[in-house]
Amino acid sequence: MYTIFANGGGILMQTETQQTPLVKKAATYKKRKTKYAEKLGKYMFIIPGMTFLLVFLIFPIGYNIMISFKDLTAMNLLGEQKFVGLQNYITILKDKLFFLSLKNSVVFTGVCLIFQFIIGLLLALFFNQKFPGRNILRSLILMAWMIPLVITGTLFKWMFAGEYGIINHFLLWVGIIDQPVQWVSNASTSLYSTIIANIWIGIPFNMVILLAALQSLPEELYEAAKVDGAGRIRRFFSITLPLLKPTMFILIMLGIIYTFKVFDIILIMTGGGPVHSSTVLPFYAYERAFTDFNFSLGATVTTIMLILLILVSSVYLWMVRKEEQE
Amino acid sequence: MKKNLIRSKYMATIIAVFSTILFLFPVYWMFVTSIKPMSAIFAIPPQVIPQDVNFDAYVKNFIDNPEILTYFGNSFIIAGGTLVLTLILAAPVAYALARLQIRGKGIVMITLLIAQMLPSIMLALPFFILFSKMHLLNSFLSLIIANTTSSLPFAILVLRPFFMSIPTGLEEAAALDGCNKFKTFYKIILPLVKPGLLTVGSFSFLFAWGDLLFSLILTSDKAIRPLTVHLYTFVGQHGTDWSSLMAVATISIIPIILIFIAFQKHIVGGMTSGSVK
Repeated sequence: MYTIFANGGGILMQTETQQTPLVKKAATYKKRKTKYAEKLGKYMFIIPGMTFLLVFLIFPIGYNIMISFKDLTAMNLLGEQKFVGLQNYITILKDKLFFLSLKNSVVFTGVCLIFQFIIGLLLALFFNQKFPGRNILRSLILMAWMIPLVITGTLFKWMFAGEYGIINHFLLWVGIIDQPVQWVSNASTSLYSTIIANIWIGIPFNMVILLAALQSLPEELYEAAKVDGAGRIRRFFSITLPLLKPTMFILIMLGIIYTFKVFDIILIMTGGGPVHSSTVLPFYAYERAFTDFNFSLGATVTTIMLILLILVSSVYLWMVRKEEQE
Repeated sequence: MKKNLIRSKYMATIIAVFSTILFLFPVYWMFVTSIKPMSAIFAIPPQVIPQDVNFDAYVKNFIDNPEILTYFGNSFIIAGGTLVLTLILAAPVAYALARLQIRGKGIVMITLLIAQMLPSIMLALPFFILFSKMHLLNSFLSLIIANTTSSLPFAILVLRPFFMSIPTGLEEAAALDGCNKFKTFYKIILPLVKPGLLTVGSFSFLFAWGDLLFSLILTSDKAIRPLTVHLYTFVGQHGTDWSSLMAVATISIIPIILIFIAFQKHIVGGMTSGSVK
């Protein structure tokens, strides 16, 4: 018998049929035991993943915050480091370069966001129509988003090259400029060349999210508006835009968070230069830690970034929650 | 009237094709540069359609220099390892968050949402220090761990709705048939969320394949180096050898294109579900 009912359920069935008190006691014990086992079993699902996140996500972030109050450099990496209180924060907040990077980050994020969003929205509106080949073309556009940033960065560096770059050729041909611009190696244009590359990367993402939102809008509303004689433009401003608002807010919030952390493109295209003209905050942190090898200063910058991130993401979370309640 | 409608439909296709070509011009330019002879690359005006084609750049960088195949293999090990580890860790957590009564669910969800947004540098810096203390620098394991850390929160958040959409009562039915929780999970629930697993699998592979920062900081050994770091150092060393650079770039995106073609539907789904909600 037992070999057939080798699992828990089988054993339980066996005990339930017996009626002697001792066995009954054993049965309730077993039941309680399975209850505990069940409870433990439930948590067994999350324990491995959560342990991983605790060890490799929460702990490193905490460690990062801790070393921002120490003087950890490449020199004393394996030795003793002493606490220096807020000294690193004072050093960073006195550094003009920190504020330049912050400014660059704000410009980078702002300009990218505006153009990604507008071009993404236009494409989404266009692709919301039904026409042959729509899905294939949409997927092709999406592919741009999947290309590793190192490759996109290298590619745009080549297109922005001074003498032989295709962008200069095009602009010369159209007549916008009358001599080649050294896009990447000129302090007044370097940040903008990285911005253009990043806009290109962000367009598909904005398009797909907005397209999904557009496709979920109720068609009856448009039918009704048509009957009432509302034109295309009127329908866009009176129906589409208000209904799209929650998605737009979330998309902009996510856009801020994702664009603020862009690093690879800057590293590849300009290396933050020339003369720090394209240094954004993550790059500034990277330089403190891995060019100067002052890990504590790097950690201080990333901790400041974490505070900014938490501020922005609380707004985001608040909006998501609000939308879910509606 | 009907004719008009058809015409406008094809008009839309034509406009869409035109804007897609315009948008993807950089990718075309990458490929075209890689198959042009040196003289044509620096031609003025540039040859938008190449006049003569040669594959010197590919021969130079792949056949004459088989070292690159190691980097290719390394990228596969790192991305594949990340994929496996992410799926193993994410699926049970996502299931528990979707279907089981767990304490502190809300806090876990918010932590995951915020974790998904962390800049890589914020993790790379403590990883460098901790891994160097643990003598884990220059190992595949360190890169797989680092990449899994950044893809795991996303993976859990994307998988959770898939588990939520499974009809309730399935677990009870399985329990009556004598399956325990784990058996039910592996034998019955997991096969039902296969589309979700494909989504998460492709994303975690692609994220890890494209990673530069972790590999740059956590490795210096050529034996571990992935393709992205190779390309980065290549830009530094051969700054203007554009045809070689573009050849390496073209080859490195081929796996991505293949994955994209195979799992396109799942990738689009993952983008919309994971990022907005």
